Amino acid sequence: MQYRITHTTKFQYADPAPVCSNLVHLAPRHLPWQKVLEFRLLVHPDPKQISSRPDYFGNQVSYFAIAHAHRGVTISAHSHIEVQAIEPPIASPPWERVVREIQAPRPRWNLDTYQYLFPSRHVPLLAELREYALASFLEGRPIGEAVADLMHRIHQDFNYDPTATLVHTPLSEAFEKRAGVCQDFAHVGIGCLRALGIPARYVSGYLRTNPPPGKPRLVGADASHAWFAAYCGQELGWVDFDPTNDLLLSIDHITSGWGRDYDDVCPVQGLVIGGGQHVMSVSVDVEPLEIPAEP
Amino acid sequence: MDTPLVTSPVKSSASQSFFAGYQPPLGAFDELLAGDKPRDHWQSFAHEINQLGTAEFERRWQHAQREMSQNGLAYTSWNETQQRARPWDLDSVPLLIDAADWENVASGLRQRAKLLEAILQDIYGPQELMKSGLLPPDTIFRHPEFFRALHRQTVPGGRYLHLYSADLGRSPDGRWWVLADRTEAPSGSGFALENRLILSRMLPRVFHRCNVQRLASYFVALKEAVNEVTPQTNNPRVVVLSQGNSSPNYFEDAYLARYLGFTLVEAEDLAVRNQRVMLKTLGGLLQVDVIIRRPNSGACDSLELDGRQSGGIPGLLQASRAGNVAILNPLGSGIIESPIFMAYLPKLCQEVLGEKLALPGLATWWCGEPGRLDDVLARLDQLVIKRAFRARGKEYALMQKLKMADRETLVQMLKENPEQFVAQEMVHRSTLPVREEGKLIPAHIALRAFAVTNASGCHIMPGGLVRVSGKAEPLEISLMAGEKSKDAWILGTTPVSNVTLLKRVDQPLRLKRTGGELPSRVAENLYWLGRNLERADVSARLLRTTITRLTSETALDDVTELVPLLRTLAELGQIETGYAVKEIRQQLPAIESTLLPQIFDHQDPFSLRSIITDIFRITARTRDRVSGDSWRILQRMDKGFSPPGVGSWDMADCLSLLDDLIINLAALGGMVSESMTRTQVYHFLDMGRRIERAYQEVRLLHCCLISFQGEIGPLLEAILEVFDSSMTYRSRYLADLQLGAVLDLVITDDTNPRSVAWQVLELEKHVKRLPREALPATISAEERLTTRLTYLIRMIEISALTEEGVLDEDGELSQLLLELAEILPKLSDTISHRYLIHAGPQMRMAEVR
Repeated sequence: MQYRITHTTKFQYADPAPVCSNLVHLAPRHLPWQKVLEFRLLVHPDPKQISSRPDYFGNQVSYFAIAHAHRGVTISAHSHIEVQAIEPPIASPPWERVVREIQAPRPRWNLDTYQYLFPSRHVPLLAELREYALASFLEGRPIGEAVADLMHRIHQDFNYDPTATLVHTPLSEAFEKRAGVCQDFAHVGIGCLRALGIPARYVSGYLRTNPPPGKPRLVGADASHAWFAAYCGQELGWVDFDPTNDLLLSIDHITSGWGRDYDDVCPVQGLVIGGGQHVMSVSVDVEPLEIPAEP
Repeated sequence: MDTPLVTSPVKSSASQSFFAGYQPPLGAFDELLAGDKPRDHWQSFAHEINQLGTAEFERRWQHAQREMSQNGLAYTSWNETQQRARPWDLDSVPLLIDAADWENVASGLRQRAKLLEAILQDIYGPQELMKSGLLPPDTIFRHPEFFRALHRQTVPGGRYLHLYSADLGRSPDGRWWVLADRTEAPSGSGFALENRLILSRMLPRVFHRCNVQRLASYFVALKEAVNEVTPQTNNPRVVVLSQGNSSPNYFEDAYLARYLGFTLVEAEDLAVRNQRVMLKTLGGLLQVDVIIRRPNSGACDSLELDGRQSGGIPGLLQASRAGNVAILNPLGSGIIESPIFMAYLPKLCQEVLGEKLALPGLATWWCGEPGRLDDVLARLDQLVIKRAFRARGKEYALMQKLKMADRETLVQMLKENPEQFVAQEMVHRSTLPVREEGKLIPAHIALRAFAVTNASGCHIMPGGLVRVSGKAEPLEISLMAGEKSKDAWILGTTPVSNVTLLKRVDQPLRLKRTGGELPSRVAENLYWLGRNLERADVSARLLRTTITRLTSETALDDVTELVPLLRTLAELGQIETGYAVKEIRQQLPAIESTLLPQIFDHQDPFSLRSIITDIFRITARTRDRVSGDSWRILQRMDKGFSPPGVGSWDMADCLSLLDDLIINLAALGGMVSESMTRTQVYHFLDMGRRIERAYQEVRLLHCCLISFQGEIGPLLEAILEVFDSSMTYRSRYLADLQLGAVLDLVITDDTNPRSVAWQVLELEKHVKRLPREALPATISAEERLTTRLTYLIRMIEISALTEEGVLDEDGELSQLLLELAEILPKLSDTISHRYLIHAGPQMRMAEVR
């Protein structure tokens, strides 16, 4: 399946601002099941220079600054992506074995996995999350099954409500309210897994905007989306879970990047000097390019 | 006559000399005495000091202390509790270290700097040490200051530790130990230098005879290090990025900047444009090549590093990545200060350098290692518990909390989060006398040593900053917490040659006449310094004139000028408005009991005392722009202008304080005018003065004169006094007081530096000299305003000012004064907006979701 993705972020200021600098994570990742055929980042007004580099987690991050008086910025990312369906994992080891494996001293540490065990800014270590998670992590249960159950419970127990939380609402509060958006659900899942000693990371990406005929529109399709991935042992590696839709990674998911939590892969962040109040608007469009076969 | 018995200095033993009565405690290494005799390397010091004699030593010490206090040597400009600078407590007895002993320490430090450099290279590079498990991965992944954005950055000269320092202590067996490493932005070298200057000036002969090695070689190496990393070699712009005058290190930053010839800046002075760091100056943006960094890494770039911290310089990291600016030390260098690393250094030294760690560090264990906690809990009484990850700047409070915790709480904390703590062996540090009230008292010392690495190698400062505490307990973390400091003398075997920081002859200085590089923030401070100086002067003179009237022999109801004077004081905010009415006599006790305290009221922002405090505060912020002499006057003024602490005091006491204040203000004004070059620094200061004086004068004249009815002679006399123009008036007109002549002298006479006309004409000149874009299409707003001011003043017809009804509410004079009083604040605003306020607040933009 091929997609054309347009992600546009607009900032408008009340007064002209002399300078703003930005850091964006908008480029989709190259993955075994995902090919980036084209990516373009357009900024208006022209920043003259956009510097891109891979970040610590392997995502592409771009820096640019506008250094003359301007009344707003429009950042739009255009991607052309090909995604293949991936087989869901069948057999997985008991979750305790994965915990032991990651903690046991080995000849060499796999730092890239190990780093996702630690608390991060949006996902502190919370006793209540461990408590919540244990209901899914029964003794000896295969890790794939246990995490899928956790995802299912988050989907069941939590209310999708964009008014319930803000970007920086603490995880404990979202958990207490049992409400939030995809970002909060991903953070809850990550917090649960880390509390048990399982590395977990935050994945940001997109969902197909308009569902194939006869299928419901997925939640979170009109903006950038987020879910979590769990480390399921050496053989399986990382497996993605989307608690907002109670789905494993599907052909409708496009992965742009991952990190410890929202902070590491925030799509657009910037600092503007002056400019007074500002308003922001975001639009995301994910168009399938192949016409799906008639049923 | 009997010949007095003279003890030969050669034979004098400790008991008869300068060191008489000094008794080191048992169980510690004493730096001075071995048994009851001075150690070998102290012999010539002891000899020279005994030659000098205790009395002479004491006299010189008194003098040195006076000098220190006048130089405002301080850790903080503002001590929170007392609102006063905390005095820098230098002790008069230096620490002496012999050359061989020091060479061991220095080579140990060089090895340690090399090791720490290698570890930093690995942390921000391949991370092999963590992958192989030589260093637990937790050391970085749990570290709150491990910023992933810094990974794979390029650093100037390929080096992280251009600057490194270590705290050292000597154990009872005479061995030196490293107590802590400082790699983020090592502080203290400026204090070491200042201590050295004071002691070498106090004891020049002793200093010379002991062959003390000079500190300058360290600063020369530092300058070389800076030159090597400069992207452009021709005339690089180097700044010392300070945390501002609320930071404990502000004095040192200012001192070092001045000593090294670098520009002292704060984060708000810098901006990133086109991935280059620019200094915001009055003349525009100028590129910065090298930043000597003082703030923590996390506080330096709120875009890429710790987004929770506001301020910083957004884009700094990108400018550094692009190779357009060299930051010393590079961002992220501080991670390795954390005590957790000390637990692994002996092993790492073997593995990384293939050598044994030459200078041992305190034995340290990370409680997060499997099984380690039990060992630690078993020996808890013999160990010190510290936080594994250092939070620079917040550490002191956290340490205090740990120290206060009882055993039970401590054990609980350790069990809950063992990975957050390390346990360290204690060291019983060595002792050295401190001199207090002529007595020598033993105290425990720690030595902060400094290293700078450049292309030619790692250079250790031959000396350092000795910190002293009465207790043998573990050293406090922050420099501030030390009770006293000492100079450290590294002794040479041969006389020492001079090293100087002055440029060599083959590098001619490029001659400069301009000062366009003045950071806007500094210009702003100078402008407000000027304004406050004049505000203080006018207020002090007005108060003096008024109080003189209140204390006069004449019956108060006959002192007709008193009402307008009091009204003016009320108008200027010096007293409460309620007093500005008649029936003075009845109110007198009330006036006396409230006026005096009001003058000295710290809480009231308009009180004279508050103005003086402001002057002091503003000057403290621009220490690097104020000459030593000006600073001394300021200190004297600030200290002198307070009411007697106890007992009753009256208007007469107040008068003499006001007299002193006025003289000090005049001295300060004179010093500033005479010693400042006529660059932008001076223009902004003087513009502030002229605007304020003109403004105060027109308000004062309006308040005193308009609508005044009664005998005007005494009032004119008072006005002349406040304008400091009585003498000029008398020389012209003798005792014949006439309104027209007085008005001419104080308003229109452009030969009288106290007149309004003088202020206005000076302002016009200053405004013409302000930096300007290349092609001014029209005249600027501030030029238009000064032209208007000049016009108003020039068009006054003196004859009209002598006519009947000149003092009427709606008369010509009243209108003129009102218009002047309206334009002057506008002029001030215009100048501020164009030159002084460069940017609005930073706002964070983030995609919601």
